[in-house]
This record gives sequence, C-alpha cells and structure tokens, in this order.
Amino acid sequence: MLIGIDVGGTHTDGVCIRDGRVEAMAKVPTDHDNLLATITEALRAILKDCKSAEIRTINLSTTLSTNAIVTGHTEKVGMFVIPGPGIDANAYALGNQYHILSGCVDHRGAISAKVRVDQIRPMAARCREEGIRVYGVVGKFCTRNPEQETAIAEALAPQSDFVTQGHRVSESLNFGRRISTVYYNSAVWRTFNAFADALEQSLKDLNIQADINIVKADGGTMPLKLAREIPVQSIFSGPAASVMGILSTSPVTEDALILDIGGTTTDMAVLLDGVPLLERDGISIGEHPTLVRALKVESIGIGGDSFISSRDGQLRVGPDRHGPCMAAGGPAPALMDAMNVLGHAAFGDRERSAKGIKEVAMIQGLSARECAEQAVSLAMDILKKRVSAFLTAINARPVYTIQEILEDRVVRPASILVIGGPAVAMVPLLEETFGLPVVAPRHAEVANAIGACLTRPTQSLVLTVDTSRGSFTVPGLGIHKTVKRTYTLEEAVHDATTLLRAELDRQGIPAEDGDIQVIQADAFNMVEGHYTIGRNIRVRCQMRPGVITTLAS
Amino acid sequence: MLTAQSSLGIIFFPAFDWAISPTHPEREERLLYTQDQFREEGIFDIEGIREYRPLVAEEKDIMRAHFCFPSVQSVCTDSHFISAGGVIRAAQLVMQKERQRAFAVVRPPGHHAMRTVHGSRGFCNINIEAVMIEWIREHYGNLRVAVVDTDCHHGDGTQDIYWHDPDVLFISLHQDGRTLYPGTGFPSESGGPKALGRTINVPMPPRTSDEGYLMTVERIVMPILDHFKPDLIINSAGQDNHFSDPITNMNFTAQGYAKLTQMLKPDIAVLEGGYAIKGALPYVNLGISLALAGVDFSAVQEPDLDREKIREQKSTIDYLSALCDQLPDIYFNPRPSEAVRENGYFVRRRSIYYDTDDITETQVERLKDCPHCPGLLIVESETAKTPKSLGLHVPVQGCDMCSQEAEERFVKSRQAGFAHAQISDRVTKRYEYAK
Repeated sequence: MLIGIDVGGTHTDGVCIRDGRVEAMAKVPTDHDNLLATITEALRAILKDCKSAEIRTINLSTTLSTNAIVTGHTEKVGMFVIPGPGIDANAYALGNQYHILSGCVDHRGAISAKVRVDQIRPMAARCREEGIRVYGVVGKFCTRNPEQETAIAEALAPQSDFVTQGHRVSESLNFGRRISTVYYNSAVWRTFNAFADALEQSLKDLNIQADINIVKADGGTMPLKLAREIPVQSIFSGPAASVMGILSTSPVTEDALILDIGGTTTDMAVLLDGVPLLERDGISIGEHPTLVRALKVESIGIGGDSFISSRDGQLRVGPDRHGPCMAAGGPAPALMDAMNVLGHAAFGDRERSAKGIKEVAMIQGLSARECAEQAVSLAMDILKKRVSAFLTAINARPVYTIQEILEDRVVRPASILVIGGPAVAMVPLLEETFGLPVVAPRHAEVANAIGACLTRPTQSLVLTVDTSRGSFTVPGLGIHKTVKRTYTLEEAVHDATTLLRAELDRQGIPAEDGDIQVIQADAFNMVEGHYTIGRNIRVRCQMRPGVITTLAS
Repeated sequence: MLTAQSSLGIIFFPAFDWAISPTHPEREERLLYTQDQFREEGIFDIEGIREYRPLVAEEKDIMRAHFCFPSVQSVCTDSHFISAGGVIRAAQLVMQKERQRAFAVVRPPGHHAMRTVHGSRGFCNINIEAVMIEWIREHYGNLRVAVVDTDCHHGDGTQDIYWHDPDVLFISLHQDGRTLYPGTGFPSESGGPKALGRTINVPMPPRTSDEGYLMTVERIVMPILDHFKPDLIINSAGQDNHFSDPITNMNFTAQGYAKLTQMLKPDIAVLEGGYAIKGALPYVNLGISLALAGVDFSAVQEPDLDREKIREQKSTIDYLSALCDQLPDIYFNPRPSEAVRENGYFVRRRSIYYDTDDITETQVERLKDCPHCPGLLIVESETAKTPKSLGLHVPVQGCDMCSQEAEERFVKSRQAGFAHAQISDRVTKRYEYAK
C-alpha cells in the first residue's frame, strides 16, 4: 500500500493506493506555520480507511524548503569558492560571508594552482564570530576533480554542523548555478532535518513503518535519508507532482501537452513520447538559477479566478486574481463566472456569476452573454498564444550534432491532458481552441497527491573518462579512480549503467531493465601533435522519470 | 546576476559527429572544451546572452558566393551546410535586430575557400563569411561590409572572393606568409583593378604578442574602418594566434583577443581556425564572447599563462611600428593597377592547390572592364578530375549589360565546350547550373 501526500498552497491532499486503486482520499487545509500538523492530519484522515501496518511507502511533496527560501527563513551560510580565472566570482556572491579562495582546476580536472587551506583561517574565524554553523564549498570544475573542495570542507568540519560540497549537489557543469545550489542547500539544511526528525517521530506515533520518499522538481522521488543531505532538491516539486499525477491517471506514449488549470494560473508542461521534458540546466530560485533538475513547466496568468474587467474601454481577463470567482462568493467577476453564464459550467452560485458578468457587460455595452463569450474567447486566445510560444521555444532548443539538426525532432502534441478545478468545464473549449483531443483524467481533484504517490525515484549519473590521464570520475558517487588506456566507450556505458543500478539497489529502489536510460554516450579522440593520445568519454544515464503504475481503469 | 551591455546571440555548433579524419586537427573534439567552459562559466545565464541553433544553408546560399564544380553537393557535406547556416543565423539575429551582436562558434571553418571550389583548402570548403555576407546583401540590399580577418593564417579565400568588390573591405592580420600556410597575404596584394586598396594585408612576424598585435589593430585597422564607414563589421575570429597553438608561431592571449574584440566592436564574429583546442579555445572563446556582450572579461586567463615568457622582443615591436606607419597608405593612396588587360577584360591566370584534398586547379579569371559596374566575372576552371568548367558571376552592384552577357555565355556554355557551367547573377537572383 502506497501513500502520497501533496502539500499545496491552499490544501494538502492525500491518497492511499493499493494495486492501482485509490483506497482512501483526504483533503485538509494547509497550515504553513505547522506543516507537520497538516501532514499528520491528512494521514489520520487516510488511516480511517486503511491499516497503518500495511503502508509500505509514503511519498511526500512538500513546500517546506521552498517556503523557507521564499519567506527568507533560512540559516546564514559561510561560502567558500575556488573559482580560478574566468568570469568574476563576485557576480555569484550570496550571503555576507562569501569568500573567494585561490586555487584552480581546469576543464580537464587538472589542478593548475593549489588551493591554500591555511588561507581560510581568518575567514573561518569571521564566520565563527557570526555564529555560522553551516557552510558551502564550491570549486570551478570540481565535478572533474573534487580534491580541493574536499580539503576545504575538511578544514571547516570542526566548526560546522553541515558542509555542502559542490560536486555532491549536481554532476552538471555551471559554476554560478552550483554556488546558488550549494548555498540554498546549506541554508535549508537545518529546517529540513528538523522537519524530517519530527516526521519520523510522528509516523512512529501513528504506528506507520514505511519508507519515506520526498518528491523532487524533476518528477522523481528521493529517499528521505538522501533528502536530508540534499534538501534543496525538494524545492518547487508541486508542478512535478501534478504532471506525474496526470501520467499515472492517463498513460500517454505520444507527445502531449499538459495543462494544470488552477485558480490564478495555468501551468503547462510537455511530454515527449510520453516522458516529461526537463529544464536543460535547472530551476531558478528567485533571481538565482540553480542546478536543481526540474520538469520544464511554465505558468500562464489565466485560471478560473482570473479577474474580468473593462479597462480603457477594453475587456480584459487576468492575469490578476481578486479573490475567488463570484460563484464561490468572491468580490469580482472571474473567468469561471463567464463559464457559468455560458452554461459550460454549473459551479457554485450561478446567479452571482450572472450579476457580476452583467456589470462588466454594461460598461462594454454588451449583453451578459456576449460579454461572457468575449471573455472566454480572450482567455482561450491567451492560452493558445502562450502554449504556441512555449512549444516554439522548446523546438528551438540548441542541439550539437549534425544528425540532430537534420532529424529535427519537433515536439508536436497529439493530445492535451488537463487537470485542476476549472479543467473539466473547459474541455470542449480547449478542444475547439487547439483542435486536439482533450482528456481530463479521473480524480483530477487529488491528481497531485496521486502523482506524489505513484512517482518513481529518479537518479542520474555522469561518468567521464580521460584515457590519456587514465582518470575515471563519477562525481555523484564520489568515485575517482584510474583506468587503463584501452578503456572504451562500450565499457563506459556498461560501467555507468551498472554503477547506477548498484546505487539504486543500495537505496532499495527497484529498477527494471528498461528503466535505466543512457542519455549521452560520446567518445572524442584526443590528439596531440599528430597522434591520438587517448579518448575523452562522457556517459550520462538516468532512471527514466515515470510512474510505478497507472491507476486501474 | 550579470547583465550584457550589448545583447549577444551565440550560435554554438560543435558538430560533434563530423571530422576531416580521426586525428585531423579539424575533428569532433575541437569545440568540446569550449562547450565545457561555456557551461561551467554559465555564459548563457548572463542576462542578454542567448544561445541559438543554426539554420541549414541551401544550395543557392552557397552559390551566391561560390562556383562549386561539378556541383554544390559534390564539395559540401551536411556539416558545411550547417556551419554556413550557423553564420546565416548570426546575420539574421543582427539584421532583424533580435540581438545587437552575434558570434557563430561553428565548425568547419571557411576563410581559405575561394570563389571557385573543387574541394578543401586549409580545412575549408565553403567560405562561411562570404556566404553570410551575400545572404545579407541579397535580403537587405548592397551594404558596405568590412571583414577583419584575425585568424593567424592569411584569409586568402575571402580575399579572392572580394578581390574585385569595392563595397567589401577586407583586412587580414596574420603571421607572415613567408613562415606559414598559405604563403600569401603581402601588402602588395591590395585588391583588383576595380577595388584598389579594398584589400589590406598585414603580415606580422612570428612571436608577436598582445602589445604588438593590439598596436597593429589600433594604428592600421581602426583608422581605415573609421574612414570606410562600413554598415557592418565582420570579424573572422580565428584563434590560432594563441601562444599555445600547435600549428602556428604567434604569442597572442585570451586577454589580447578580448581586448581586440572590444576595440573592433564587430557586429558579427565568426570562428575560423584555432587548434589549441584544450589550452586556447575555451579561454579565447569565453574572452571574445564576454567582450562582444560588454561584460567584464578582466579575470579571463589561461591557467598556464606566463606573460614574461611570451612577450615580444623590441625588434618585433619596431618592425610592426614601421608597418603601422606604411600600411594605411595602401588604403588611403592605392597604387595604380598593374592588372593585365586583354580585349576589354582584366585577366588572371592561376594555378590553385587544394592542400587538404590534394587537387590542383588551373584557372583563368576574366573581369569585364565595364564602365557601369564592377563587372561580370568569368572563370574557366579545370582539374585532373573535373573537366573544363565555367563560372559566371554578376556582382550585386552589377549592371544590365553584364547580366545580359552572363546569360548569353551561360546558354552557349555547352557549345563552347564546358562540361559544367554555373551562373550566379546577383542582379536577377538567378543561381543555376547548366543542364
């Protein structure tokens, strides 16, 4: 039996699923000041219909880390960076204890200038004086050689409760993003771990002995034990949960567009052959781009509560929201009210809807029906334009081989999947607007929790080999060893997938053969003078984002 | 958050699946470390710098700048069409004002490819700058363009294509041809009879470093550009002047390249050569990109740089200083033409060697001494493999009479004994092979 809990902005949803069937559902208001109480309340509600002893896994999508960052309730972090030459590292400064060290690792992973560990003494003393207990250490190209990072982290250990090292948060290149990822990871570390402790205690009190996983923004989960080390990976997991919710309620194998239509906004995402598309680099926290892998999701300022108004003689819809729609007791007419007037929906107090729309219609010199029609068509136009721009941007993404350019794999959705409050009412309108089949899956009201529940763990791994130096590196697993000069790309693909499988085993994550996907496998001859001195091999593989099972129909 | 002062589009196309041969300098690995450096430095996270994918050039795009014998397909691989498409994309971004500047970091390069193409010379088949410039002039009218070629090798291909064109100023700074391939690029090569002084060659002594190089740009290139007042400045940004380049002998640095870019302010930069792919390209490409975008590049530096070791000797500076005194005169007071005239045409008889593909071409070039325009260009060309072929090019500034003569010659090309014939009429926009 699996439990999925999604802590949302307004409500926290929970589901219990056994053999592909929803056995219990719960919806409780979210108390942002006491998320644990909210989660416990949702669990208690679920436990009315199912036995705690049978729960094997709990998957949790929580706003905890996101809120801590957004509201500024984070801990002070002492940052130590080793940039070497390049873009001025001051451009990435975060916090008031940001220290730039000497030392340099080049793109091959060779140390061209040694970091001086004694250099940090006065800086570390200043951090101590400020009472700083968590740290971040980031070196440029540390994923190619983490030696210097580790040396500084060790030197800081005596005065720290936790140190995040750059090469452990992501295997991808991007020094600036790595700095912000490390910074935020340390900044939310204590909050997240305190929450994890309380959560574990609370489950014990409820007699639940289950594996706990945390949902990540890339549409996968990670075990709580790992989340305690890399809590930053749990940020912005809400949209991912909803995409995974759609995947688990209506399996898709083609290109599809996903629309999660909420009160204020519509989130859009794309499936490529049924697999959700990821951001190339990572998600941004405010102004700071990070290396936190995330599904590619974009928000449009159109939702059921989008405010309908007449400004400068022109009818407008959204992007602002003035409370709920009038049908739900709100103060101003909104898109949902227009849908009520047109008979697309029969939501709440339809008379209030009619009254609200009529007021705007009078200003415009239209009948209520005409006004509602125009408002709805305006909203559809906005959706259509933004979706089209989103797809254009995706299809213009850079590629690096001739084959990719000539193949030109264009994302062309064959269907649209919608969830969210106003979604069902909009199905016919969306079909007309986009000329595509539109499906609203069952249980749309708790799709996020279902997504959290059925989403699979994800894990990725990058292996780089330089046969001329004989170096073999898997930064994510902390593996740095030597290989023989005859090492081949085939061996690398084999080693990378074997290592990933072993790591999944170690974490108790079941993986079938097709689940491990090689996303990059390149070997470049390295030539010096006129002789091939070796090969530069890069293999990237991942546990394909997906769901454990889909709901039985 | 870093912000660009000038918005910059980078077309990064490393062609990770194409090489001349496995150990050839122009191979898959060439832009690998530049990509690593760009990614690690997060250059595309800088506000105002964006990455774009290349277009794929069409045959007619190539035919505007070249005579390809026996056909475009026979001398171009997919990678050439994409590399040329990459620079067209760069031009499109700038001309449509989507970006203020653009940098095409693409391969294979092109500046040794001449007007007539039978194969590869100096790793180049298609002159990607010329293809771009002609694309621009086809779509935006006859602009005045300055090409500043800062590759370590003489840009003999670009020189050849614009030899007779008074509206394209070509300046090449390179290691002295007496010491390096292709062995040309001397001050005496200063443009055809109708475009005298529009070709400027600056041969620099081996081991020139930042001081000498930047002095040359400041004292020769900048005053000429100021006077020529081009609508567009193109930089053929070859990076093989670098002190670590394995096939040249210069001592230029990433800082030097960045400062040069800052001084030149090109609208579009195009990567040409540069084969120190681990030690130079990542840093030079970064420096140039930051300079183009107007972002501080002062901390960009090669990890193994030792300035004292690569500084030029005083004699080098003195030699360059003398060049700086004399060379601008070629532009400002061009010498009268010594071109050979036969029956109303200026004639050049040449033998051109394609080193990469081992082809020898025999060529007769005739330029009509037209009173109304720069003149119809007629090329007769032959190799051991390709029998006598005819190329007819009416320039973008061409007149109706030249256009008509080209048409007549094209129609009669078979009777005249040519196995292949190509017409490129920039006036009527006709680009065809005889059937």
